[in-house]
Amino acid sequence: MANVTFLDVRRLSADSADAADVALAMDEDAFRGFYDRTSGALWGYLSRISGDRQVADDLLQESYYRLLKSNVAFESENHRRNYLYRIATNLVNDSRRTSRPLFDNSVEMSDIAASDTHADTETRQDVRRALGKLKPRERAMLWLAYANGSSHAEIADVLGLKTGSIKLLLFRARRKMASALQR
Amino acid sequence: MKRDYSDPEIEAIVSEAIAAEASTARREARPPSSAIVWWRAQMRARAEATKAVERPLTIVHGLALAASMGLLVGVVGTAIGGLKGTIAWFAGIYASLAASGTSAVAIDFTSRWFMLPMTAMLISVVVLSVAAFVIFADE
Repeated sequence: MANVTFLDVRRLSADSADAADVALAMDEDAFRGFYDRTSGALWGYLSRISGDRQVADDLLQESYYRLLKSNVAFESENHRRNYLYRIATNLVNDSRRTSRPLFDNSVEMSDIAASDTHADTETRQDVRRALGKLKPRERAMLWLAYANGSSHAEIADVLGLKTGSIKLLLFRARRKMASALQR
Repeated sequence: MKRDYSDPEIEAIVSEAIAAEASTARREARPPSSAIVWWRAQMRARAEATKAVERPLTIVHGLALAASMGLLVGVVGTAIGGLKGTIAWFAGIYASLAASGTSAVAIDFTSRWFMLPMTAMLISVVVLSVAAFVIFADE
């Protein structure tokens, strides 16, 4: 049996800490490409589902970190993207349990491009107000369906629901949103 | 005035509104660069790995310290017992010197009252040196 001293153990532990980068689920190039393709859309999802821009900023990085630390073997880019959205959705749900304000409409009007007309601005405010009246799960469902173009199976996967129930839940969410837009 | 819309009409209205909002959100998005996010993830993973690895070592440090403290207390206890015996031994010598009037006294270095405290002190010095080396090495 080899003689391993206490100092050897310490040296080994330092080496394993240095090797933490190889423990991440993707290499740098693959990650950066995936991030560049998905981060804008994910930020949009997080900001509209949480209703808080600051939360979106915080949860964006946390979502990617958890994806990198996951041990899931992804079959495709879509699979990886759906998994990322599932992480993001869970993080929003967790952050909702804290005392942060939900859907405070914190996306400032000054951020809207100068070329937008007054009517555009009003329409957008109406949409945000309508989204704010929905339950977080309904917002997430509508966003995934119409902003991301996700299938019922993908929505079910992201939100942890049964695929068969998505059609009805979407129908109800659409009705609720349309009703809120009409007011 | 409200009117009743059919489901395809509602779907069109909602999908159009959300698609427009998504487009706005994408324009508003200012995510940090991928290089920064990657670097932060690396740093965090490394810090977490170091923390996880060093946790058992901290326990080992604590155990080593506790063991050496226990040993020291034991040694001190034994030394006190030995000291009492040594004092009695010196008192005996003094008494015998006074009684016989002899100048040369043969000190018995093999006596257990001499050997015990000396051995205890030697052990405590060695143990404490090893413990200090283990605890403070590489820090």
